[in-house]
Amino acid sequence: MAVQDIIDPKSKKTFMIGNQAIARGVLESDVKVTAFFPGSPTNEILDTLYILSGEFEDLKMEVSANEKVALETAAGAAMAGVRGFTSMKSVGLNVASDTFFTLGYTGVNAGLVLLIADDPHAHSSQSEQDGRYYAEAAHVPMLEPSSAQEAYEAVKYAFELSEKYEVLSLIRTTTRVNHQSSNVEIDELDRTTSEKKSWKDVHKKFYTLGAKARKLKENSLNKLENIQEDFEESSLNRVIEGEGTTGIITSGVSFLHVQEALQVLDLDMPVLKLGTTYPLPENTIMDFVDGLEQVIVVEELMPYLEDRITQLAKGSELEIRGKRSGDFGMVGEYDVPRIVNGISSILEIDSPKDYDKFVKKAEELKEILPKRTPIFCAGCPHRATLWALQQAIKDKDYVFNNDIGCYSMFLLEPYEITDSLLCMGSSLGLSSGMQHVLDEKVIAMIGDSTLFHAGLPGLVNAVHNQHDLTLIVLDNSVTAMTGQQPNPGSDFGPDEVTEIDIESVVKSLNVEKVKKINSFQPQDNVDDIVEMIEYQGVSVIISEGPCALYHDRLKRKQGEPIIPNRVDDDTCRSIYKCVRNFYCPAIELNMDSSHTEIKKDLCDGCMVCAKLCPINAIESTGGEKDE
Amino acid sequence: MNEDKFNIMLSGVGGQGLMLLSETIGRACSEMDKKVITGEQHGLSQRSGSIYVHLRIGEDAHSPLIPYGEADLMVSLEGMEALRNIEYLKPDGHIISSNRLVHHPIETNKVVEEEVEEYITIEDIVEKLEEVTENIYMLDSLSLAKEAGNPRTENVVLLGAVTSIPNFPLERDVLKEVVKETVPEKTIDVNLKAFELGYEEGSKNR
Repeated sequence: MAVQDIIDPKSKKTFMIGNQAIARGVLESDVKVTAFFPGSPTNEILDTLYILSGEFEDLKMEVSANEKVALETAAGAAMAGVRGFTSMKSVGLNVASDTFFTLGYTGVNAGLVLLIADDPHAHSSQSEQDGRYYAEAAHVPMLEPSSAQEAYEAVKYAFELSEKYEVLSLIRTTTRVNHQSSNVEIDELDRTTSEKKSWKDVHKKFYTLGAKARKLKENSLNKLENIQEDFEESSLNRVIEGEGTTGIITSGVSFLHVQEALQVLDLDMPVLKLGTTYPLPENTIMDFVDGLEQVIVVEELMPYLEDRITQLAKGSELEIRGKRSGDFGMVGEYDVPRIVNGISSILEIDSPKDYDKFVKKAEELKEILPKRTPIFCAGCPHRATLWALQQAIKDKDYVFNNDIGCYSMFLLEPYEITDSLLCMGSSLGLSSGMQHVLDEKVIAMIGDSTLFHAGLPGLVNAVHNQHDLTLIVLDNSVTAMTGQQPNPGSDFGPDEVTEIDIESVVKSLNVEKVKKINSFQPQDNVDDIVEMIEYQGVSVIISEGPCALYHDRLKRKQGEPIIPNRVDDDTCRSIYKCVRNFYCPAIELNMDSSHTEIKKDLCDGCMVCAKLCPINAIESTGGEKDE
Repeated sequence: MNEDKFNIMLSGVGGQGLMLLSETIGRACSEMDKKVITGEQHGLSQRSGSIYVHLRIGEDAHSPLIPYGEADLMVSLEGMEALRNIEYLKPDGHIISSNRLVHHPIETNKVVEEEVEEYITIEDIVEKLEEVTENIYMLDSLSLAKEAGNPRTENVVLLGAVTSIPNFPLERDVLKEVVKETVPEKTIDVNLKAFELGYEEGSKNR
């Protein structure tokens, strides 16, 4: 198991995913306090540190209510004198940005590192946000690793930098760095013991206001000049020598694609690989382009490097090609074919490979394939709640505001029920605005984790302003989509926790109409949902049922069997109530009998399909062994 | 130009144990001091969705993603998923896939609503795959896993079968050793048996 590698005190060669390499870097950097809100593609960082905090007494790991609190927790520790670390997905920094910008002024005491992971292609995010612009806006330095090895090293260097200049260091990765496994050589692990410190020893204050803010800003900008000088000498920026008058400047995972693209094209052009992308090592860049006639900038998402290099080279004869010239796109992620095609067209040579041929052929061949969209797991409480919800709103006029979580899938086929979904907690604020305007009933839906993260202010606002909306809270006990991490409503965590009861919270906010339902009682829940929707004012339904993946794991841990259901062939009359509007992956058709069949390896025994069957053809196997 | 590069496209359905395949192959590379890099699809944790791993071995493999048409080998834990990633396979590349089909609820619903007559079949899939390569081996991985003693070892059956590919760049014994180190202790014997059964079945085809 890779965790054994991560806690190994010895230096060694390993095979690790980028996110585990980052966690090892955090461990080696003697970080004492870490705090996170989960978000793909960073989840394995916090999942690993969750486990590590159980192995190292001096390492604190917390799952925070949201990214802002996580950054503040890490920053507070760094102010008090120990190293702090947090990581978050691209859009997580939007939530934490208020804190982030002011930390750019105040700086820190002990080291503080923030890692953000952008998601080109929006694999698991609501946008392709380019986080690199945050560094300049907040006046903090930024490192950009390409590989798992570099990501591991970047963490360690980022802490040195943070302490040398008393600044927050930002590391920016992308999905293909976080979720890239490769050979990683790790150093020895040597942690110090930690004792309680005294604020009296800190001799610093961390606030900004008026004249103080202006002075601190100037100070931060001055630090960046010195940091730039360091970056000019840094081995993180390196030139791969080559021939000719065209060169490439690149960073991040694009560098790996570029290396291979040049191989494919059989080209030997010089490449400048940037590992420090704010402040840019301007002299290094100018030295590189000196003698070149043309430079190709290869970077995913926005033309961040390209625009800055264009500015730097202003007045020179250098031709800059990239996104602004239309050679590379700003949408989607890069791969070798995209770069081979881009470079070929710039150099006006024929691409040695016809990649499109493979894609086109594949498209034809795949026409027969049924879709496999993400779908709720067998035993998922949301499937049952959404079945009831579909019945409850069937003949009603409504607008449906969805939120971020597994239940976001309500917008996908086969459901396709969602009118808006912007970001964490947006369902409530948008519903408030809509209910001022619309004739239809406004319904918002949010999960437990998202409610604690960013939903509560929206609910407080709706109650205070006497809005008319129905909120459905899907309480499955964990932050399910990112890997079932705990949230403030969970009864477990890396340390002892206090479980916060959603029903009590909602009632304490003076919501008059509150109803808790059991997710796994679909028919009973229809009337309850109808009643709540018909109520004038703020009504809140809390549908409670544990996440199936979490629950199954818990059962296995406790040695409890997971007992699947079965369809009784003599009783089944192919009515298909267990299929329509329910869509469970454990249920398939037997084409010979036209009856449904339950796949025992997938079925979790939630019994909801059995309740939906009008002739009771589905029952528990009772745990009898497979034939 | 003789490049040091061997590309494997791994695919399957969430919950089938695909990550064990990339983990064991990757660790075996590490043991053999070979350069290895992967591009993995994580993200949403729900089961039953399409998942893949690009796995690349050799000094000339830089990018975490296999360029289209350059996978030497496709390993799929589910039949449809082999076809779903077919743009990555080299013409005449090898396919080792489970013959098992996992039908998605959308597909089931379409059959129920009579929008389609019946489920897609493994023969439909193979017919399409054959337009790209003749080197297709559909394995009854579930039966072999059951024979090994645990239906959950289908992934290791396929791993064993992979080592029967003539130009597969890793030593079978190293891979086997890594499997031993990676799986839970109680399941070592079952997994090793699954590995052997997969290898034997794969070798029959050569």
